[in-house]
Amino acid sequence: MKALGAFLRKELMEQVRSGRLLILGILFILFGIMNPAVAKLTPRLMEMLADSMTQIGMTVFPVPVTALDAWAQFFKNIPMALIAFVLLESGVFTREYQTGTLVLSLTKGLDRPKVVIAKAAVLLALWTACYWLCAGITWGYSAYYWDNSAARHLVLSTVCWWAFGVWVLALTVLFSVMARANTGVLAGVGGAVLLCVLLGMLPTAGKYLPTRLMDGTALIYGTAEAGAYTAPLLVAAATAAACFAASIPIFNRKQL
Amino acid sequence: MDMLRITGLRKRFGSKEVLRGLDLAVPEHSVFGFLGKNGAGKTTTMKTVLGLLRADGGEIAVNGEKVLYGQTATNRWIGYLPDVPEFYPFMTAAEYLRFCGEISGMAKADIGPRSRELLALVGLQNEKHRIRGYSRGMKQRLGIAQALLNRPKLLICDEPTSALDPVGRKEILDLLLTVREQTTVLFSTHILSDVERICTDVAFLDQGTAKIQGTLNEIRARYRSEEYLVETDSEAGLQALQTAFPALHKIGKNQLSFREKDCPAADVLRFLADQAVPLLRFERAEPSLESLFMEVVEQ
Ligand SMILES: Nc1ncnc2c1ncn2[C@@H]1O[C@H](COP(=O)(O)OP(=O)(O)O)[C@@H](O)[C@H]1O
Ligand SMILES: [Mg+2]
Repeated sequence: MKALGAFLRKELMEQVRSGRLLILGILFILFGIMNPAVAKLTPRLMEMLADSMTQIGMTVFPVPVTALDAWAQFFKNIPMALIAFVLLESGVFTREYQTGTLVLSLTKGLDRPKVVIAKAAVLLALWTACYWLCAGITWGYSAYYWDNSAARHLVLSTVCWWAFGVWVLALTVLFSVMARANTGVLAGVGGAVLLCVLLGMLPTAGKYLPTRLMDGTALIYGTAEAGAYTAPLLVAAATAAACFAASIPIFNRKQL
Repeated sequence: MDMLRITGLRKRFGSKEVLRGLDLAVPEHSVFGFLGKNGAGKTTTMKTVLGLLRADGGEIAVNGEKVLYGQTATNRWIGYLPDVPEFYPFMTAAEYLRFCGEISGMAKADIGPRSRELLALVGLQNEKHRIRGYSRGMKQRLGIAQALLNRPKLLICDEPTSALDPVGRKEILDLLLTVREQTTVLFSTHILSDVERICTDVAFLDQGTAKIQGTLNEIRARYRSEEYLVETDSEAGLQALQTAFPALHKIGKNQLSFREKDCPAADVLRFLADQAVPLLRFERAEPSLESLFMEVVEQ
């Protein structure tokens, strides 16, 4: 237990001192502010555009902006934030393989499972904190300017996207215990998500795949039923748990 | 008792057989020099001892306990300094030692004083910077400190001096000599003078097996060439010797050399005593480790 605590502290210290925590913090706060800001500014932009549009014979009708637009922005932008997150954290295991820092810890009697548990826990905590910070900021601004109740199933839709992030992190951990370099991790995670997206285009499979969770917009606009998200949530939870669980025995056998 | 005993160790990488039945016995409280050319398999051997590599055959026992791949139980006896030690660059030396103490299960009250003691031993006690900026010598010294932290019975150092300049090398060798009182030291090197300087025991690794192995004195005795060197005070004494023993040949002014098998040293000594030849020197030529090493490698 003491060893796990020490390794967790080391992981957090690394996130802080390497500057990654700061970068992620700034990034997610920026995204959080941007979502309502873009929504707020859109009508102005439209007005400015309207003149030139009428010249080419198009009419632009002013549309009233609501909290829905801010949340639509949120679901449009959060994939980029997740990509940035995975890019920044893709080396969390592989950096240690390549420099050999882990070998020393392991030869000191640190159990291998504790390494996986500590790193996965820090990734999850970091994603959870960053994500809800971003969502919280969007929520706050939207509440101030408009009314969040315009968005239907707001809690479910944001939880679904958070769960999708957790699922991607589970893949990140799994590919991290298999690959030697972070390029391998990125290729693995990218490939798996892409495969999921492609499979999602099939009408039957699409209903069950975790990538479905990314479609928060359909929920807030009310074009999708809340019940439709139960199956992908369960599938995501099960596969994420399986990835985390498989990572431990795979890491135990890894030659460092 | 042997602190480390390796029997019949085999390891191959693909089609390349690196270790072919290596036997090694490291006695307690020895400073054991593990010699071998680059690529001989020294690092491979050490990593297998630490359970980091899976052996293809053979057995390893540390302090009498069997080593199992992937398990860390036997590592509680071992302190390890890898060939290129890398530590978390964002920590200071003191922070790193604390981290090491915590993950190896040391008592909290023990970690602080022991860290300070070791940092003083390796001369890093006043270093407040992060490890990121350390020189190789500093990293090597921190490496020794972290390896000694939990008072291991066996200290394994992989080429601790190879990357260092002469001053750094001397510092590390002196350190290893100092810690000999606390632990058994096994270190690999391809530098013969390092071994001659501090080792009590030595093994040559070549072609996947230990070619020569034993205490430095034994090895010197066993492979001691039977050459003798005689230096007399005067030309006259030399001539008398040469007439009495034609097998002696002149190698310099007033200097003769001979082999034991050509003429027994005892006879020469008896003659010198009987004739009261004034003598400057009578010695057995020491074979250098280097000539031994070359002999082994060329066989
Ligand atoms: N992981 C590996 N995969 C393939 N070959 C390896 C690996 N590690 C070592 N070798 C090979 O095994 C041989 C012994 O290597 P090593 O133990 O590092 O030698 P030394 O430490 O004595 O210089 C070398 O020829 C090296 O190329
Ligand atoms: Mg080596």
